[in-house]
Amino acid sequence: MILHQVLLYLVHTFLAIRTWLASLYHGLKKPLAFKHRKRNVHRIKSDSKELSKLPIHVGLVVVEDDFRYGELASLVVWCAAMGISYISLYDSQGILKRNNTSLWQEIMKQQQELLGEDSNKYSIELVKGNRTATQLTGQKYSVEVRLLSSEDGRTDLLHAAQRWCQDVEAKRKKVGDLEPTGLEGLLQATKGAPDVDLVLKFGTVDSLLGFLPWQIRLTEILSLPTHHSIDYQTFLLALQSFGNIEQRFGK
Amino acid sequence: MSWIREETPPDENTWSERFRKFCANVLKTGPIPKHVAFIMDGNRRFARKKGMDRAEGHLMGFEKLAETLKWCRDLGINEVTVYAFSIENFKRSKEEVESLMEIARQKFARLLQEKEAIMKHGVCIRVLGNLTLLPLDIQRSIAEAMVMSKDNDKAFLNVCFAYTSRHEISNAVEEMAEGVEKGLIRPSDVSESLLDHCLYTSHSPDPHLLVRTSGEVRLSDFLLWQSSFSVLSFMEVLWPEFSFWHLCAAVLHYQRNHQAIMRARDQHNQEREQALRQADYDGVVAELQQVDPDKTDQSKWASVPTLVQKQETERDRRVQEFLQHLDRKRANFLDNLVQKNEIKVCS
Repeated sequence: MILHQVLLYLVHTFLAIRTWLASLYHGLKKPLAFKHRKRNVHRIKSDSKELSKLPIHVGLVVVEDDFRYGELASLVVWCAAMGISYISLYDSQGILKRNNTSLWQEIMKQQQELLGEDSNKYSIELVKGNRTATQLTGQKYSVEVRLLSSEDGRTDLLHAAQRWCQDVEAKRKKVGDLEPTGLEGLLQATKGAPDVDLVLKFGTVDSLLGFLPWQIRLTEILSLPTHHSIDYQTFLLALQSFGNIEQRFGK
Repeated sequence: MSWIREETPPDENTWSERFRKFCANVLKTGPIPKHVAFIMDGNRRFARKKGMDRAEGHLMGFEKLAETLKWCRDLGINEVTVYAFSIENFKRSKEEVESLMEIARQKFARLLQEKEAIMKHGVCIRVLGNLTLLPLDIQRSIAEAMVMSKDNDKAFLNVCFAYTSRHEISNAVEEMAEGVEKGLIRPSDVSESLLDHCLYTSHSPDPHLLVRTSGEVRLSDFLLWQSSFSVLSFMEVLWPEFSFWHLCAAVLHYQRNHQAIMRARDQHNQEREQALRQADYDGVVAELQQVDPDKTDQSKWASVPTLVQKQETERDRRVQEFLQHLDRKRANFLDNLVQKNEIKVCS
């Protein structure tokens, strides 16, 4: 038994070292990448055109404990520049939600820096739950950003279920009237947004930790080791991988 | 071609079998995921690769399932859930759907023939999905297998057939709505725990590990609710080529994520409990406010904790009765199918 335990310990140690070496290697490969954070918006747009497929709704799921608002803001602004209209940032405990002001300031700052003179063409808005219609005055590109936590996942589904039960109790609805899309109409967290096509998960935990269970039915899940010092090249590579995925939809 | 593979007696073990057992014992000194879910993807691509026809690819996929069940037993994984057929798969060509139904027909019939092995190993078989979408004779075989093995508790095999997660969740919500309509429960009784018990997977814990083969990195409408805190393991290997070593790799992967997942799950459960207690408290206070807004009756206000406790007890009782009603309803559905089958056989 002791032999077995020791062997397992050695295997795990080996795997941990291998992962650490891999991240070291990736870190060395792009020493100045962080400095090249400022990308030209026109370059991003042309990269976007070359993608075979662009996601409509991207989920940036952070499963790490240490949040870097600068880097998260970069990811949001790159997505916007690419033409992605819906962006959901998620952490299961709601830390991003609680610090939304700091995050928002970073996003506004980077919108100016990265998008330059085109900045006014973009309306990047923070949308909370029940979305109220906003006036888009002359903005060409509208981007909705949502900050989500686990209460927007299972809890939101439960509230939808409760609402349905209340409707049935009050005889506003009948049992048997709820089709799969019916429940969707009762969800609040992503009201008005389409399902998530792509999740970029940042961190070494291999789980979505409660991210929007209903909306991830057909979502492609791509994992990245971390969002710390994330560079545009890595982001672009992930989107290119997404572009190459073929879905058969059950057929 | 059987579902349940027997152990080879120790003296007949090859070196590779012994090595597998040794590796299993090494892994078992660490945390083992008690419930593993598999999306067995890649049968058709395997068939194309080997120049077989699709039906053969699916048959190879079934063989792999039977082998994998045995490997899971060796590793101490006592519950396995597999995604065998999605409601979306009905969109395939008529020819392919019929051939898949024919394979299912044969396999479920075969399952009934292996009754002895199933009872010996204590395997409880459940088929989860909208069974009414299937041909009646397949429904009947499935019902027989489920009824026959329902009291087994050493190992659990859940086969998702004519299943999608969204349908499962909607169905669970409709069951709760029916409970409300019948006056068995109230809308305020709806909770995570209640929804868990209304899903087709009501008798299973959430899967600890979810494995998808063939390189696809999505859940495809499988266990969306239940896999919120599962470790996800996406592998390039095609399902018919899945091996014991791939399973070991998935378990190692689970072990590496185990602590982080447990922490997140525990936190989520704690928050859930707190939210429920808070909602109960707020509910009692709101009621009292309406009756006695000026807080004139001090004794009533002092008894808030007792009232909250009473409310919780009442709710638990209502929920228990409702769940028993639901279990009976589902058991009756299966029993009716089995009885029709028996009448058919006798006549």
